Amino acid sequence: MTAAVMTDRPAAYTPPANYKLSAAGLLRSEWTKLWSLRSTWIVLLCAVVFSAGLGALIASSVPSDQASGGAGAALDFSMAGISLASVFVAVLGILTVTGEYTTGSIRSTMSAAPRRVSVLWAKAAVYGAVVAVLFGVMVFLTFFMTQAIFSGTDLGGVSLAGDGVLRALLGYTAMIVYLALLALGIGSILRNSAGSIGFYIGVIMILPQLATLLPWNWVADVTPYAPGNVSNTLLMVDPGGANLSVGESWLWMGIWLVVTYGLAGVLLKRRDV
Amino acid sequence: MIEIEHLTKRYGKKTAVDDLSFAVKPGVVTGFLGPNGAGKSTTMRAIVGLDAPTSGLARVNGKHYSEFRSPLTEVGALLEAKSVHAGRSAYKHLLALARTHGIPKRRVTEVIDLVGLHEVAGKRVGGFSLGMGQRLGIAVALLGDPAVLILDEPVNGLDPDGVKWIRLLLKGLAAEGRTVFLSSHLMSELAQTAEHLVVIGQGRLLADTTVDDFVSGNGRSRVRVVSPDAARLAEHLAGPGISVASPERGVLEVTGTEAAVVGQAAAAHSLVLHELRTDRGSLEDAFMQLTADAVEYRQTSEGANR
Repeated sequence: MTAAVMTDRPAAYTPPANYKLSAAGLLRSEWTKLWSLRSTWIVLLCAVVFSAGLGALIASSVPSDQASGGAGAALDFSMAGISLASVFVAVLGILTVTGEYTTGSIRSTMSAAPRRVSVLWAKAAVYGAVVAVLFGVMVFLTFFMTQAIFSGTDLGGVSLAGDGVLRALLGYTAMIVYLALLALGIGSILRNSAGSIGFYIGVIMILPQLATLLPWNWVADVTPYAPGNVSNTLLMVDPGGANLSVGESWLWMGIWLVVTYGLAGVLLKRRDV
Repeated sequence: MIEIEHLTKRYGKKTAVDDLSFAVKPGVVTGFLGPNGAGKSTTMRAIVGLDAPTSGLARVNGKHYSEFRSPLTEVGALLEAKSVHAGRSAYKHLLALARTHGIPKRRVTEVIDLVGLHEVAGKRVGGFSLGMGQRLGIAVALLGDPAVLILDEPVNGLDPDGVKWIRLLLKGLAAEGRTVFLSSHLMSELAQTAEHLVVIGQGRLLADTTVDDFVSGNGRSRVRVVSPDAARLAEHLAGPGISVASPERGVLEVTGTEAAVVGQAAAAHSLVLHELRTDRGSLEDAFMQLTADAVEYRQTSEGANR
């Protein structure tokens, strides 16, 4: 028996010992945060509808006397919607970070995880995984659906076993995951929704396209390495004529993600929340 | 235990907190008082690591906040009421935070019930009133059942029932041996909740004392006398450190002495008294006086540097 000592000051309080901050906890937390917002469901639904719907629409409106057939052309038509859907996915990636800053919920988040950088990893991992699974399914779904529409034409009869077809389809999935992660990193750097979305659409998406119109040769040499272009090779059934080889494409996607997340991580540590 | 050591925080050229040092002990409610813009929020944000100090330290139980393996059980903080995504429900907001630490759903519903948000827990926070937002913030602070509570202006937006409730809640938490640190720009608010006071103005420490000492030390208590012989009484009271004013005929206001001394002087000279009363300066007066001095001090010192 312990003798109770009467003092003016109460005994020291001991907080519960069974609660611990963990990487698994942060992943579960980000999962909860992602799906508890209406915007996530709306944007992802739009992405899904666009990727399948636009693919089907374009596939059924291709004239039957289409000049060039083959797997490459077939995928270009089928996957047009997927490319467009990447914009939705990128915007949502940005919002998962900037939404926290604009609403102030970042203060709750960072109070729970004061080392901060682990939050960025958890966000990227959860969102990257969701996009990979969702578009892994959507890419193949769209492919089989459009192939059904194309059947009997020059664009039909493309098989997954065909040269480069499976790799290109996985390339579309990789591209959309890469752009989602890139956008999320940009959101973390800029912390502002409008600024980040503007930057993504202007600098990542449009600028490399406009750059090809410029008269200087070096611009044309550089543009294939722009963050928004490096994944292009992965989408080709026959990457023979591409500026970057498949290996270089992966390498540059890695480089841009390391640069973006390196900068995002340093800034996250240094800046006040 | 919260320890602030020589904390300085500058935002660009503006100094929000200026070489501030004090400690907040467990077991009592400590009030953090200062006018708006005095640096209270900045200090609190530095404690939970949201703002990095320009120089100096803010520690909780001997550690920097980011060193804790379970931050939410060490410190619960209510910083700004708007620390929640407007599109998320109160329940999901708490659940997302709970999951970082493996805190069970049971505890989430427990704090929701505790702060009285049971009926609106599933609604999106964007539609919450200021008071409901405050209650959610308090639920967040309590989620990890923490040893230290830091609450920035917790009564803002609460109705009188809510104010009373939070006073009792905080006193109860302190009585369990926790450290409770709450800020306010209203002295009267803190006087009813806190035992200890840390007062700052323009980012500097003005007082670190008990509420009682603060009032008696800074309040202008004075003795009011009504007497037909006021003029003669005034002559007999005059002395070093004592000042006597007569706001109207037959009325004296004496500072620097006590009612008993005035009464004795009157009796010794057989003067009639109609009224003898001690007016305690209000807490608000004491606070205003202290912060006004700080402002004056600051202005003269800046002038002297030029």
